[in-house]
Amino acid sequence: MNDTNRRQFLAGSALAGAAAGGLSWLLGARTAEALAAEVDKRYDFQAGEWIPSCCNMCGGQSGIMCQVVDGLVVRIKPNSHNPNGFSNISDDFFKNCPVEGAVLCPKGNAGLMTLYDPDRLAKPVRRTNPKKGLGVDPGWKEISWEEAYQEVSSRMKALRDAGTPEALLWFSEDHSFTHIQGDFCELFGTPNYSNHSNLCDTARKASFKAVMGDERPLMDAIQSRYILLFGWNPLGATKWSHLPRIMTRARERGAKLVVVDPFNSATARKADEWVPIRPATDGAMALAMAHVIVRDQLYDKEFVARWSYGFDRFSEFVKDKTPDWAEKITTVPAATIERIAREFATTQPAVVDVWSGPGQHSNAVPGGAAIACLAGLTGGFDRPGTLHLPNKGGNKHGHLHVEKPKAPRFAGDDKLYPMFHKSGVYCEIFRQLAEGKGKYPAKMAVIVFQNPIMSVPGQETVAKALGNLEFLVVNDIFLSETAQLADIVVPGTTYLERYDWNTHWVTWPVLGLRQPVVKPLFGQPAEYEFVVELGRRLGLKDQDGKDFFWVGPLSGQRVESVTAWYEEYFSNESKSGAPKLTLEQMKKLPGATWVDKGGTKYIKYASEIPADKMATAAVVKTQVGELEVEHILDKPKDQGGKRIGTMLDGKPVKGFQTPTGKVEFVLNVLAGKNDATGKPCSDLPVYAPRDWQPDKDYPLYLINWKESTHTHTRTQNNRWLVELKPANPLQINRKTAGQLGIKDGDEVWVESKYGKVKAKAQLTEGIHPEVVGLQHGFGHWAMGKVASGAGTADGALRPTKADPIGGQALHKECCVRVSKA
Amino acid sequence: MAREENDTPTPQADAEPSSPPDRRKLLGLLGGGAALAAVASLGGCKTTSPRAEGAQTRRWGMVIDLKRCIACKACTIACKNENKTPPGVAYGVFLEEEAGTFPHVRRTAFFRPCMQCEKSSCSKVCPTGATYHRADGIVAVDYKRCIGCRYCIAACPYGARSFDYGHDYIADAKNGYNLIPSSEYGAAYGTRAKGKSPSGNVRKCTFCLHLQDENGDYREPTACARTCMGKAIHFGDLKNPEATCLVHGEKMQALLAKRSPYRLKEELGNEPAVYYLPA
Repeated sequence: MNDTNRRQFLAGSALAGAAAGGLSWLLGARTAEALAAEVDKRYDFQAGEWIPSCCNMCGGQSGIMCQVVDGLVVRIKPNSHNPNGFSNISDDFFKNCPVEGAVLCPKGNAGLMTLYDPDRLAKPVRRTNPKKGLGVDPGWKEISWEEAYQEVSSRMKALRDAGTPEALLWFSEDHSFTHIQGDFCELFGTPNYSNHSNLCDTARKASFKAVMGDERPLMDAIQSRYILLFGWNPLGATKWSHLPRIMTRARERGAKLVVVDPFNSATARKADEWVPIRPATDGAMALAMAHVIVRDQLYDKEFVARWSYGFDRFSEFVKDKTPDWAEKITTVPAATIERIAREFATTQPAVVDVWSGPGQHSNAVPGGAAIACLAGLTGGFDRPGTLHLPNKGGNKHGHLHVEKPKAPRFAGDDKLYPMFHKSGVYCEIFRQLAEGKGKYPAKMAVIVFQNPIMSVPGQETVAKALGNLEFLVVNDIFLSETAQLADIVVPGTTYLERYDWNTHWVTWPVLGLRQPVVKPLFGQPAEYEFVVELGRRLGLKDQDGKDFFWVGPLSGQRVESVTAWYEEYFSNESKSGAPKLTLEQMKKLPGATWVDKGGTKYIKYASEIPADKMATAAVVKTQVGELEVEHILDKPKDQGGKRIGTMLDGKPVKGFQTPTGKVEFVLNVLAGKNDATGKPCSDLPVYAPRDWQPDKDYPLYLINWKESTHTHTRTQNNRWLVELKPANPLQINRKTAGQLGIKDGDEVWVESKYGKVKAKAQLTEGIHPEVVGLQHGFGHWAMGKVASGAGTADGALRPTKADPIGGQALHKECCVRVSKA
Repeated sequence: MAREENDTPTPQADAEPSSPPDRRKLLGLLGGGAALAAVASLGGCKTTSPRAEGAQTRRWGMVIDLKRCIACKACTIACKNENKTPPGVAYGVFLEEEAGTFPHVRRTAFFRPCMQCEKSSCSKVCPTGATYHRADGIVAVDYKRCIGCRYCIAACPYGARSFDYGHDYIADAKNGYNLIPSSEYGAAYGTRAKGKSPSGNVRKCTFCLHLQDENGDYREPTACARTCMGKAIHFGDLKNPEATCLVHGEKMQALLAKRSPYRLKEELGNEPAVYYLPA
């Protein structure tokens, strides 16, 4: 009933004397009993079954408890047995989680709206329109699963029969059923299995790996006294549900939080100090800080002397990187840089971290390395309150007895990218595919739980690339923008309908189980079952001649049911991993989470390798520049030995996994190498301006970021989350907008040399005046009724380009002009 | 606002008032501004005395620590999951503001559930006594009596009430989501249907009172407090000096003694049960 009708209804009534009986009804007290009689207990908090699992609304995979009644998911709440929703430090988790309980982010709380999304794809569909392209109607026709399997497997078989299995490209998400997909590709014979990581943070991975040998150090915020973040937004991305708690608790205990970011992000808003910086210049600020720390001898002399390599050269290198030098580059006042450098170096413990802010530009890797060097100068690795090197023990990917595919990757590999990440280089693949290049023709692709049209820079290029394939299969819960270019689309499952192992983003070994809490809504196979079924139809065998997708890895017996086979494969991963427990045993653990009682270990780099391990170890002499270093392998190299340490001062120690076994201020992994453009890499964390700079025609930087309300490009059809954040207006500094004659709420054109998109302007004081930006993920034109047409996608404004060292997609390197539409 | 196709109330909902027939008959007897005002004042008198529901010995309240709140809005969505409120109805929302000039900008945000005022403005204007105070201080709405006049929405100084226009997130009645009734008031109103309460009623946060046991104590804290990522929402009894937060175990009174707490629009004298600790 709308307002007008209601008013008319009331006003139109005539007072003919309020009957006494009526009034007593009106005013009569209602008792609890009267209400209780009407209460329906079928779905109350105690009803049904609470099934522990792990979230996958984003890649953070926090623990959840799902209440299921009569096959319906009624509630999702945090799972307090899983540390991911509480703390990344074991002491804090063991002591305080039983009292305080775990938490869950808005996306995790919105799971029902994804599970029951009415726009989900329910049946396989086949395209009837042979023409492919952005905006072209595929003319979907519903087909049976049998027809889908027949068609897809026969297309694949044709590639194998022709002796060109490498013509199959495969793309997947990076934390969901990746192992089975990787195995399928190897058994099939294609080296072209790639996954999401290189759209995310492979530049960060490369930066840290170069300096201290670990790809994924984790910030120990809660024990820190000074938290310095460059372009990381843990309170906005809220990727792991524990982040807000450990950050706010650290501040409560007196820690200072300083956030360097062009945008006043959710994290900057909670900071003691927001330092707005010109995009992609963070490396310069870090070098100037290093200059101050070295100049004033504020570095940790003992750590640097014992545990670092290349300090003298680095000191010489930063001598002219003064705060004044950096001010001109970064717009951050020299005095601010000077002060923050002193505060950071003299407050113990202090932690510095960097993520995708500076990490998605062409100069990302050396910039990130400069920031990692700040941690090196202060001994800020693996001590309480610094950057922790986590023990990642969890499930174990079973060993595959199969010869590695002989063909090289279609495009983008370790020969081209000096710090190539095994997730591949999407930008290189799609660009070369679009241009008809690549090492050989790619004919078919399978894309699982990915939407590259929206998530890879350069929409047109990606569309052209996918159009150049003979056959494209997409497995997704929606008919996404990418699915619109497919020949066959099969419905996927949500995380509430399938299995997965989740090694968590905490500092000690933890393994959480994701399990189907309800059966797939449309009777569809889970993604891994789809893969297993294809493997069976193709008759894929390992090199021992075993029918890989028929013989159960635990029982060694032939298993008829696809689901039962996968459960065995899956169970084998936890059984042979750190928990040494089967799937059934894992299910019975409290919260279905295995937590290593040993907890967080610190300063592991200094630990000596015990004599019994040394007895079977192999010591290998390695030349690192002019230095001869002795690496310790767990067994001889020809037996597949893995490096476990380094001989330092005559002692076998764990050390750091860098060529010298120490933190490297001189980056040996890049010494003498060329980047993907053929340019020689510097072995110092130099600051060089990123490739694309603003000019007279395109004077503004365009960046993007995450907010707690959405995940990448995949939650914009979730009706609850959309109600929180329905669109992504262009954030523009009030002063800049004034100069352009743009008012709050105006429709504007955002235009780069690659494309033009429309956006709504939102004026703010919370962004650098040279910068405009958008929350990432909006601007869909397919996927679902709610997502379609909401907000602005910025992918079309960028080229399909990766950072030349690590292969990270450059989502943030873009210059635009903004004008009133 | 996310809505399933229909952006305006459906014809069916327009034609059929949401109130039960007997109530309509009664309302048919009423008319004119004077009569409405009289009923409103009668209702107001009545609602000052608590009804039997809830424990007399409790006064449920919240202490929201703005230093811990990161404005992630998990609370708003957890509430959606718990209470299955329709599009346009959110019991706990965020109010956000930007102040200052670049680079000295300050953005503040806070979570606003219902304040569960001791002297609530909403109950005073309710013409039918549908809005009432429970013994434990929670302000509740009896949908069977609510005529959807929305006086309370106008009266609430905190904007904590919203009208249920009968919109649905998902149109298909057979969709799994639509088969689950809202848990509020013990799922007493069943699954949603056009023209049926609480569609056409005014809705508000109830501190998830359906999570209370027979004694009026909570089996489980409110959904917003339970999920809060910064651990900013403390929920518990404000009457008993020894009572602890049902989520994190701190003494509620100790939290209030720690850092100059304040309540919103204190000057109105509504005596809210929600306190804020400054950022």
